[in-house]
This record gives sequence, structure tokens and C-alpha cells, in this order.
Amino acid sequence: MTLTDQMTMAKPNPELQKKIFSRLVNIHPDECFQCMRCTSGCTSLKLLELKPHEITLLVTTGFIDELLSSDIIWTCAACLKCRERCPQKASPYNTIMILRNLAVEKESKVPEAYMKAMSQILETGLMQQETPVLSREAKPFNRQTLGLPKLHYPKPKLQEILMKILGG
Amino acid sequence: MSLREVTPHFNIELIDLHETSCCGGPVRSINTKAATYLSIRNLALAEKSGLKNLLVPCNECHFMLCEVSHRIQLNQQLHNEVETLLREENLQYPTTVKIWHTIDLFHDLITPEKIRLRVKRPLKGLTFAAHPGCQIIRPSEIGRVDHPEKPRKLETLIKALGAEAKDYPEKLDCCGAALLYSHKEAALSLAGSKLKSLQEQGFQALVDTCPYCHIMYDAKQKEAVSTVGGKSMIPVVYYTQILGRALDIPSEKLGLHLNQTFTTEDVEF
Repeated sequence: MTLTDQMTMAKPNPELQKKIFSRLVNIHPDECFQCMRCTSGCTSLKLLELKPHEITLLVTTGFIDELLSSDIIWTCAACLKCRERCPQKASPYNTIMILRNLAVEKESKVPEAYMKAMSQILETGLMQQETPVLSREAKPFNRQTLGLPKLHYPKPKLQEILMKILGG
Repeated sequence: MSLREVTPHFNIELIDLHETSCCGGPVRSINTKAATYLSIRNLALAEKSGLKNLLVPCNECHFMLCEVSHRIQLNQQLHNEVETLLREENLQYPTTVKIWHTIDLFHDLITPEKIRLRVKRPLKGLTFAAHPGCQIIRPSEIGRVDHPEKPRKLETLIKALGAEAKDYPEKLDCCGAALLYSHKEAALSLAGSKLKSLQEQGFQALVDTCPYCHIMYDAKQKEAVSTVGGKSMIPVVYYTQILGRALDIPSEKLGLHLNQTFTTEDVEF
């Protein structure tokens, strides 16, 4: 379902809108005047049809639920061109990250790889397990055989703190 | 590996920080506050070590640490919350650590002139494409290592090795790594289009400064190039790998045997 299709039954959600504004630091979506500079240089425009100026417009007009159930918020490549080029400090990048956070809180459809990375970080502090690498000749190497020092993982206290943050 | 090999040649000692974690890059999509904590905690560990400089040889980790420090400075409430959590791990809010990246370490601190003096094997006759990447040059408001639209430092560093570094239209194109989580095909096609074009333009190799870009352009090159209908491969190296070769350090010590993108007619670095 495209965003436009969803808009036929859309209702603004001022509460969620307030939540977004309160979480943004020094970013002001309400200052956006739709110059579309973000969209004209967007990495994901051509491939995934992301139009960041539309995201900002939907947020400033309160149509947040529609954004949260659309997968368009997961198409940002985080290249930060919009953040650099926005003349109004209204960067869609940071808004998109908050929208993703809200989608997670609402238990909307979240790409699995993100959840996997998160649970790995909760477990060890790192986003990936230590795995052997293969040389071009497919010979396996690990930190030890490469002469790299052993990793010292964070103590379990980190997990406790992260759980506290994730629990709100 | 290559960073550890080359830094002693410039009287720089690297000390491993223990108990560091992920910078929070993938976590910001799930929970911005958790990502903020992960980032600032790594800085706090550096502060606790008593060292004044933290080298972060990854564009995304460098961005996260700088962005989070910037955000916290602007928000007293966030500052207080983070400080309380850090105390639970016996850490203090970091105030003095300077964050470095490969590009500014070699360009601004060591300087191309000094690199030129140390080069034993000039990489003559090779033409490289520089890929500084996205998050290391943008957004300029939080302090980045080079110009956001016209980055030149990586080229200067390549030229210091006696090689050529030509400009090319796709220089600012993103590698697509962040899309691997959700849109793999699109990510591969972004990386693939750039690699294909570089080959058509006659570059001998692509030089990057970010492990994420490196995964896209090196480890995933075969997949990426075939996504856009390309066939042949182009070598991809991290800057300190070619710097190491110019200093006459053996390839294996620089991890060059782990790069996946050397063709049968290997470029002699």
C-alpha cells in the first residue's frame, strides 16, 4: 500500500506529532518550506522512491500513523545529504530516525536485520559475533592467526542499562 | 591490521581500548536513546583511559560519536540522563577526548608532506578513485573531516604515495551499506553502479576509508556488479593498505590477502 493510498482514510495524530517534535534536538520540521532540496539529492529517490520533503510535510500536518505503517521510512540510506543541504535545519534524516523508533514502539513491521543487530548488541555489546574471515584463496583466518589482540567485551552492566533504556 | 602496521612509522602509538561496544549505528533506527548511550559510553571509556585522542577508522562510528556529543551538548535533559547512566558503569561524562578519523589523522596531523618523505616504494603509474564516503564529510555542522560537497583530502593523501588520484562524477555517491538491513537489492545496485562506472573510466582501484563502504565495494562486489549487469572486478583497498605498500610493508601484514577484489592480473601495489 502506497502512502497516497493510505491518505484516503488518513487522520492526523497530534499526540504522536508532539512526541516527534519533543525528541528532535535542534531540528525543526515545522520550518520546512518544501523547497525539495532534500528530495532532489536523495540517494534513495531513484531506487526506492523516497521523497524526504513529503515525509516532513506529513509529519508537520500530523499524518504520523500513515508513515509508521508505510515501509517508506525504512528506505533512507543515511547518506546525510539532506541534513547537509537543508536550508531550514529541518533535516528529514533525523525525523525519519524518530519515525523508525516510533514504528518499533508500535510494533509495526520492522526489518528483521535491525532487530537481529539489536539483540546481538544486547547479548555481547557488539553487533556481530566474532567470525573467521576468508582470504581470496578461501583460507580461514581469525584474530589470533592474524596477530590481532583478543577482544575484551563490555561487562553485563551494559546490557542492564540498555534494557532499562529500551523499556522506556 | 594495516593501521596498526603504518602508524608506528609516524611515531603514533595505538592502544586498544577495552570493553568498548558497538557505536550504536544500527541501534539509532530502533531506539535513538540507546544509540546515544552506546556512543557516549565509548567516548567515556576513552576518557577514563587517560588518553587524549581516540582514533575511529570508520565513517559511521565517527559520525555517531560526533553527532551524539553534539546532540547532548544542545540538550541539558539528555545530558543529565546520560550522565546518570554512565555513573552506573563507573564512567564520567567525557569532555576532553578528541575524535580522529583515518583521513584527518593522516592529512591534518601527520600531513602529506611527511608521508611523502617516508615513502620507499612510490606507487607510480597507478590511478586511484577516492571514495571518502558520506558520514565522514556530512553534516558539517557537527564538525567533519573534509568539505561536505568537494572533499579533496583523500586524493591528496593518495598523491602523497606517488600515485594519481583523478576526480570522477560519482565521487559523492553513497555505497548503500545502510540499506543492506532493509533493501538488499537497492544497496547492491548503488554499490554496483559506482564500481561499474569506475571500471569504464579506467581506474586501477578504489580507495575507501570506511569498513562499511569496504564491505559493499570489496566483499560484496561480485554480487553488486552483477546486479547492474557488469562482469569484471576492480580492486578495492582501505587507504592504509596502499600507504603500507608504499612504505614497503609486506602485503600479508596489511591484510591485502583478505581483500576479495583482486583480478587474476593483480594490480601490483
